[in-house]
Amino acid sequence: MKLDRRSFIKSAAAGSAIAAAGSIFPGISFADWKKQEGASGQLIWKKAPCRFCGTGCGVLVGVSGDRAVAVKGDPNCSVNKGLCCVKGFHVVQALYGKDRIRTAKVRKGNKMVEVPISEALDLIASKIQETISQTGKDSVAMYGSGQWTIPDGYVASKLFKGCLGTNNLEANARLCMASAVTGFMTSFGIDEPMGCYEDIEHADVFVTWGNNMAEMHPVLFSRMLASRKRKGNVTIIDLATRSTRSSQASDKSILFKPSTDLAVANAICYEIIRNDWVNWDFVNKHTTFHKGKTNIGYGTEDHFKFKDAPQGITFEEYKKFLEDYTPEKAERISGVSAMDIKYLASLYGDPTKKVTSFWCMGMNQHVRGTWINNLVYNIHLLTGKISTPGNSPFSLTGQPSACGTVREVGTLTHKLPHGVVMKEEHRKMAAEIWDVPLANIDPKPTYHTVEMFRALDRGDIRFMWIQVTNPMITMPNLNRYRKGALKDDRFIVVSDVYPTPTTDVADVILPAAMWIEQEGMYGNSERRTQHFEQIVPGPGETMSDTWQIIEVARRLGFEKQFPWSEDEYIEKIWEEYRRFHDSPKHNMAPYSLLKKRSGVQWPFVNGKETRWRFNAKYDPACKPGSDFDFYGKKDGKAWIWARPYEPAAESPDDEYNFWLNTGRVIEHWHTGSMTRRVPVLHRAMPESYVEINPEDAMNLGVVNGELVKIISRRGSVTMKASINGRGVPPRGMVFVPFFDESYKINEVTLDAFCPISKQPDYKKCAVRLEKV
Amino acid sequence: MMKKAEKRIGSVVVGVAAVCLSWIFISISVQAAPGIPPDFDSKGGKNYQRYDETPLAAMTGTDGTRALNTFYDRRQYPGSPPIIPHKVATAFSGDTAKCISCHERGGYDAELDAYAPVTPHPENENCFQCHVPVRTEKLFVATDWVSIDPPRLGRSMLGGSPPPVPHSLQLREDCIACHTGPGAVAEIRVEHSSRGNCRQCHVPQLTTGVFERKN
Repeated sequence: MKLDRRSFIKSAAAGSAIAAAGSIFPGISFADWKKQEGASGQLIWKKAPCRFCGTGCGVLVGVSGDRAVAVKGDPNCSVNKGLCCVKGFHVVQALYGKDRIRTAKVRKGNKMVEVPISEALDLIASKIQETISQTGKDSVAMYGSGQWTIPDGYVASKLFKGCLGTNNLEANARLCMASAVTGFMTSFGIDEPMGCYEDIEHADVFVTWGNNMAEMHPVLFSRMLASRKRKGNVTIIDLATRSTRSSQASDKSILFKPSTDLAVANAICYEIIRNDWVNWDFVNKHTTFHKGKTNIGYGTEDHFKFKDAPQGITFEEYKKFLEDYTPEKAERISGVSAMDIKYLASLYGDPTKKVTSFWCMGMNQHVRGTWINNLVYNIHLLTGKISTPGNSPFSLTGQPSACGTVREVGTLTHKLPHGVVMKEEHRKMAAEIWDVPLANIDPKPTYHTVEMFRALDRGDIRFMWIQVTNPMITMPNLNRYRKGALKDDRFIVVSDVYPTPTTDVADVILPAAMWIEQEGMYGNSERRTQHFEQIVPGPGETMSDTWQIIEVARRLGFEKQFPWSEDEYIEKIWEEYRRFHDSPKHNMAPYSLLKKRSGVQWPFVNGKETRWRFNAKYDPACKPGSDFDFYGKKDGKAWIWARPYEPAAESPDDEYNFWLNTGRVIEHWHTGSMTRRVPVLHRAMPESYVEINPEDAMNLGVVNGELVKIISRRGSVTMKASINGRGVPPRGMVFVPFFDESYKINEVTLDAFCPISKQPDYKKCAVRLEKV
Repeated sequence: MMKKAEKRIGSVVVGVAAVCLSWIFISISVQAAPGIPPDFDSKGGKNYQRYDETPLAAMTGTDGTRALNTFYDRRQYPGSPPIIPHKVATAFSGDTAKCISCHERGGYDAELDAYAPVTPHPENENCFQCHVPVRTEKLFVATDWVSIDPPRLGRSMLGGSPPPVPHSLQLREDCIACHTGPGAVAEIRVEHSSRGNCRQCHVPQLTTGVFERKN
């Protein structure tokens, strides 16, 4: 429902009121902030998922008048049970940066001029028509986000794939979750984790693979620590390429050389087989063995193509393949001692221990991201430690709806809400639900994200609409793609809430409603769909991303496909979208239930959420009479993959002698366009820095806070050194958080990607350092 | 809602607050505590445990340097996690033991010349998950954020009657931690800390309404 200020106050007054404020203290206030005028002292609390990461914490937003003024963790949300992190506790402040984009702007000459939003929408529609008539349907593109609500992504897919007939639809989740998806698809034939966060309370051992959870998924990390404290005999192993807060809190920190997690995982499997810790009953009944192509390249050249050719192999062949990865050989590759590898294998192999593996960007932003996902699944499959409480290979997500919107709605070039464009039965289903001719949906995928920005640079794409994301900070090898976006006769539309380096390259800027200024749903890492209503009105002419797309679609003549009224469009879209997933493998909860609960997990079957998939005890989609059923694959068997170690696309050499690793910090989320406008967060972490190993810093003659220039073959950034700061990289590696637009570290990174997932590797390229 | 005349039922002078601010409180509007977790009672053992573990001397000591204005100055809204007001190492990394060595039980810190406030939730080990230091006072861009008034003190319904709990009990269900001892905020430190069964007299307030018969 659309709320303006007046109707909002009316509806608020009618709601149940719980008060929190009202003081007679002169001179006492929160952090010296101006106080809300005319506040009644009545706070109304409304549920929402947090705006930031993919954990999907439930928050309760305290509303006073027409403003969000406080936050509590939602005790009814099983994800966080009332706890948040520092970002979540201050998330409402992200709504109120002074420079919110309140009106539409259109480039006229060198200036951005404010226009009524209807004029901007007219211009977008006519530009789409003009571009299609001049250079074809595949010269217009949309680039969305794992921060899109589910309705945002759904209408984008319907407009671009169903109506305009182009598969030029991608989302930034390609940069963060694509390898997780291809990992699931190649190992299990169906996407998203089999387990859920409840695994944390059941597991005896946690292994975090390249995953600084203490900062990136702090609420889940706290659940792990609390479980260890309560049970006493819980072991946490941090397996990573640099020392972080997670290493400090873990029972053991093991460092490996970049990209060699492939060798470590294979060596763990070697040891499991050598010691006969294999769960043979499980392996014989539920798995098959496969190999694929090797030396598969890195995608650094335009028009790169790759198609894997999976081949079945025997267990004996698999065992033979592993002989290259004895603990001793893996030690030489990875720098992890054979003893530590054997220790890890013994934890996974111990039949009395339940083991959960967590990973996120370390394994996904990896030129062999699909492979390393496969290899960690191998460990869990060989030992049968999967799909049961506490035994869980768990791929975490980084964005609030990377799963909900990008993976489930399928806002990627090859995907449809159900299935892929290449399959006729999937196109038929989409054409029927969308009420478009079957011929509209193109059976050929076009560009994945990196190639889409390359196409923009080359001129194959002339029009791009970017929503809820900031690619002019996040694209690797950024210089090329910014220059591409700025070329003459490229037309860029950006929908956002604050000015960013991406709105800087826009020809049209649309003012977007943010988070709880609109109704919507997110989907988190554990298959949980989380609804939020419009809780406060948005400023100025802000409009939800969904409604922006609907307005443009109608201007393009697709009223029939986008018929909904502003009062009920989210409900109607949800119920239409739900038809795509109408099976016990993926059924979604009805709208009415989503409104009531703090998140509902799918598959939602016979009124029940499915917590552990593929396990007949918990998952009604399993074949009757089975114990486990990996029904994503035709024969119900999961695939164990022989995938070798291969090095990164660009490793340090004599000239560029350091690894560059990039990532996040707890205070800031992604490019900081929201969190830097939250006073507490900016004050705690005002600028980015480069972490250098103390010995490297000494050799370079740099002390803490001095400027260092980081130079790669693509660009350079000069920033302050952090020595023995929050994280400490090993010798030969530097680490830079990417949130700070003053230091665009992605001008330095390389646009190499996993050939299977097409997800870029932000964790590994070669740089040299100069003292400034 | 109650009629105004009925609400003007009592006044009370609150403990230490009276030293610096002498108010006569008139209960004008009744307020409920937001967010009483459903397991507040079943987890209430924490309170007794803290009470048992805290020496009486520590409960009754005086300091009085922590006051409500600085207490609220470190928070953004009712219930927000406070920033870290003192110096922490640049690394400020993971070493929960360091935070907990002062903030689990409190005590005097010579360097800061202050008594450490006691955390009501020491079971949460990942301190920096919610508490961050201040590296700069500047903002990235200005903000339109506005806050609201802190909860009022002295909300007793009758002269001298025990006030209800004015705040959320999420992460703050341990009364003894914040309301007793030398590190406690002067205005909210209780004078009767030797009594351990806080909820015998102080109840949460779940609604602002009054009882009305439905049939």
